[in-house]
Amino acid sequence: MDAIFELKNINLYYGQTQAIKGIDMTIERNKVTAFIGPSGCGKSTFIRILNRMNDLIPECKIDGNIEFEGQNAYAKDYDVIELRTKVGMVFQKPNPFPMSIYDNIAYGPRCQGVKNKAQLDEIVEQSLRRSALWDEVKDRMKESAMGLSGGQQQRLCIARTIAMEPEVILMDEPTSALDPIATQKIEDLIVELKELYTIVIVTHNMQQAARISDNTAFFMLGELIEFGATDKLFATPQNPKTEEYITGRFG
Amino acid sequence: MISIRDVVTKENIKRKNTIDGVTQAIFMASAILSASFIVLIIVFIAFKGLSPFLLNYEGYNFQQGTVDLDPVNPISFLTGSQWLGGTLGLSSDYGIGFAIINTLIVVFLAIMLSVPVSVFTALFIAKVAPKRLANVMRTVVELLASIPSIIYGVFGLGIITQFVVFVAGFFDYQTAAGLSLLSTVIVLSIMILPTITAVSETSIRSVDKTIIDGSLALGASDIQTYMKVVLTAAKSGIFAGIILGVGRALGEATAVALVSGNLFAGIQLNPLGTTATLTSRMLLGIKDTTGIDYDIRFSIGLVLMAVIVITNLSLNFVMKRLGGIHEQ
Repeated sequence: MDAIFELKNINLYYGQTQAIKGIDMTIERNKVTAFIGPSGCGKSTFIRILNRMNDLIPECKIDGNIEFEGQNAYAKDYDVIELRTKVGMVFQKPNPFPMSIYDNIAYGPRCQGVKNKAQLDEIVEQSLRRSALWDEVKDRMKESAMGLSGGQQQRLCIARTIAMEPEVILMDEPTSALDPIATQKIEDLIVELKELYTIVIVTHNMQQAARISDNTAFFMLGELIEFGATDKLFATPQNPKTEEYITGRFG
Repeated sequence: MISIRDVVTKENIKRKNTIDGVTQAIFMASAILSASFIVLIIVFIAFKGLSPFLLNYEGYNFQQGTVDLDPVNPISFLTGSQWLGGTLGLSSDYGIGFAIINTLIVVFLAIMLSVPVSVFTALFIAKVAPKRLANVMRTVVELLASIPSIIYGVFGLGIITQFVVFVAGFFDYQTAAGLSLLSTVIVLSIMILPTITAVSETSIRSVDKTIIDGSLALGASDIQTYMKVVLTAAKSGIFAGIILGVGRALGEATAVALVSGNLFAGIQLNPLGTTATLTSRMLLGIKDTTGIDYDIRFSIGLVLMAVIVITNLSLNFVMKRLGGIHEQ
């Protein structure tokens, strides 16, 4: 097994409240890992540990050992910017910048100092092709990204992340604001993208986790209840709590 | 025990309706009253302001006694490069073309000076400063906005003109006691600072947090996020602040009149030379409350209002062109 993230004994506190309780987890390279669990179980908090988005919350304290590609991602000399360029993130609500479609994709590379027009053009085209959006937007690159539909905006956000050539793409309930057809397109895309990237996805939708993921983690009240291959976890859950949740008896 | 049904009687409902009617009438009367003041002012200024172009005023001085003056020529008034040709009281050769241009120069420079400082202050308050410091800074900005313009004026006269004299000393330049384009621009830019800052800050603060997260998650630094995403998203609000600032700068009279030197003629491009704005020309040198030299001030007022309206409309047009396409 080729691990990209190694997490050991992770605890996370918001002030006095402990939101993550002693979790160990290994995330495999070029696989889709799904996080499921009832609302407030800590799955969204946990995914944000992976690209240090929790750093932005002043009250938040994390301890434990978080290794990304064999290096301590929370070490003092590990630059958070480097981490975030390698571990991209797609959010629950599509959040394109109020700029043109082109500028949205070129934003990340430009922030790292890429200025060459031809190089940017290539990055933009390739990212949009990989996110299956190129044909829909190639004639309107200069138009505002805000004019795209919700599903297109979300694929634009995926393209924006791809433009950084990350190792990992984190997705925090990426389809919860989308209609079924747009959701279908994103799911197809995720399956395609796992050839190139490691994907970690938080989802409310258990069918979605079953359809697209290789491994599934089930969270409850800040604890990791069960983690394993998706087909096994859904077919023969080891923990009675997992079984209750996936059979729809609560949550 | 009294039931609510005993209270809901025909008479009570009727009384309620009467009170409603009367109250509405009071609201309407207040609205009409305030609206009629605006109409009254415009009619009064238009009447007074147009008179110099239509009537023959009487001029008077000790040597010649009473003389008949020609009406002011509106074209040479609008394009004139000096305030008054001939002797005060004996001439109707007024011109304010130079003051229009000087006004626009002063306001443009004040905006150029004020906008970067305001926007960075707003960014600092809204995003960078810790909560407590941000609250203190916000109060300071509000206080700055509430200082009367005469205070800014005497501050400009006492401090800024001295500073200008000091600067001019390096170039061996003799200023008019520091009364200058530079002093006017500095005073005005301080005065419009709180307006632009407050409006920009509100707009920056309301930028959707999700796009800030989106930028940071792409590996952008805090500063890149502020400069590229936050300012872009807050653009229309910042522009609205600038428009308000321009409005205030164009209309400001007291402080400007105190430090401008009220130039008599010509377009001033030398920062150390005196200048004149429409407002300073309007305010300074009033001797009588009748006659052409008084009524001509209302003509300037009309021009000033036209300049403000035209500037506002063109800035709004520019704003729609620049920022409109990304509004949802």
